[in-house]
Amino acid sequence: MHVMEGFLPGPWWQIWFAISLPVIIYGIYKLNELIKDKRDLLPLLAVAGAYIFILSSLKLPSVTGSCSHPTGTGLAAILFGPAISAVLGLIVLLYQALFLAHGGLTTLGANVFSMGIAGPVIAFIIYKACTKAGLNFYIAVFLACALGDLATYVVTSIELALAFPAQIGGVLTSFKAFATIFALTQVPLAIIEGAITVLIFKYVIQVKSDVLIKLNVLSETGLRKIKEMTT
Amino acid sequence: MNNLLDDYALSSPLRHSNNWIKLTVVAAGVLGGVSAASPVTPLFIAVCMGFAAVFLAKVPVKFYLKLIALPLGFAATGSIVILFFFGTGYEIASIDTLGVNLAIRSQGLNMAVLVMARTLSGMCCLFFLALSTPMVELFSVLKTSRVPDVVIELSMLIYRYIFVLLEVAVSIKFAQTVRLGYKDLMSSLHSTAMLAGTLFIRSWEQGERLYIAMDSRCYDGKLAMFSSKKPVKAFELVLTSIYIISIITISFATKNITIV
Repeated sequence: MHVMEGFLPGPWWQIWFAISLPVIIYGIYKLNELIKDKRDLLPLLAVAGAYIFILSSLKLPSVTGSCSHPTGTGLAAILFGPAISAVLGLIVLLYQALFLAHGGLTTLGANVFSMGIAGPVIAFIIYKACTKAGLNFYIAVFLACALGDLATYVVTSIELALAFPAQIGGVLTSFKAFATIFALTQVPLAIIEGAITVLIFKYVIQVKSDVLIKLNVLSETGLRKIKEMTT
Repeated sequence: MNNLLDDYALSSPLRHSNNWIKLTVVAAGVLGGVSAASPVTPLFIAVCMGFAAVFLAKVPVKFYLKLIALPLGFAATGSIVILFFFGTGYEIASIDTLGVNLAIRSQGLNMAVLVMARTLSGMCCLFFLALSTPMVELFSVLKTSRVPDVVIELSMLIYRYIFVLLEVAVSIKFAQTVRLGYKDLMSSLHSTAMLAGTLFIRSWEQGERLYIAMDSRCYDGKLAMFSSKKPVKAFELVLTSIYIISIITISFATKNITIV
């Protein structure tokens, strides 16, 4: 869910830029390190970025009938980890602003924070925690993506609520108001995105499972277990 | 889906004007709009950018209006919240729903209108940039402004592969649609997932091939770029200066204007 250009007044858009910047710098540092080590990763990351862009321009079947699209952040976080997802998220959000007019330039900081940082971090933590707890891989993916999506939407609501506090009850009241209004589209969307990501992984495991081992998403024993379970 | 704004930018007559002057115009509009205290300045910026897009960049009017209508939907939902919950002042109207009294106050109304105007002006600026400057031109701007090489490199490759993958995605989607893949909610869920999964595998293979191709051509982490020199025309300079000066004067002159 993108915050549109001009929606956030100063000083809030500057603040979100200031918060996002260190994470992006850390992500670029991580990226540099990774590429120095394995040079063949850059083209793959590039294609992954393009993939996320295309994914986010696909229209999802939505219950409420509004125009909704997957964010792809959960997928990116599971595949590449949150630091690199942040850099990919920055580039993809910039392209979305310039190609599809989703989001904006002054609100880029806020959007990067909600969609490129908060969402992937939550998704990644949940995915790791679920696999540690020995949960089924598909359930872990579903929870990570759905909750990552919800985290994005909650953070966006917080961003808007901080910028426009209510006169009675302050930030908390306006947060509730923004969250309720956006929940109409965002909650079904999160569930659908979780389900679709599960199906994507199911499909990838069937056709080209070695990719997931290369990216350290799954161990070989884990993969064998999943394959045995489905057959 | 395959109607990207970049296509319009590539055939725009403004494509060959200086990048920096276009960016200055957009930056002035974006900053002027977002820091405006009254809705007059953002509306002025929106009208100017709209005129520039339609008359200078020769974008079809109908297409442009449709483009603007989309993001305003989001702004409208957000503004409703501001309308009811923000600010103090005297009550203009109130609705009793389910025992909860929702009141529109003067400050809330002012803020909602201001935010709508700001969003409109911001979107118009963004559209002007998107419709007049292709991404290829912006890469050279990024390079001169010392953005880390990895990021530029990554952006360029992503840009290229967006178009490659888009073509694949569109043809898969066509094939699925004619086979009734989107006839109801369940089948469209399955079709979307299959499309996304296939696209992932395709893009992965594409990426491996790209690495081999680039490596065999001695790729060392830097793609050379050609950026042609585009001098600023006097006419453009004058127009831009008038535009910026009028934004500043209007925002000072209308500082205290409010709706109610």
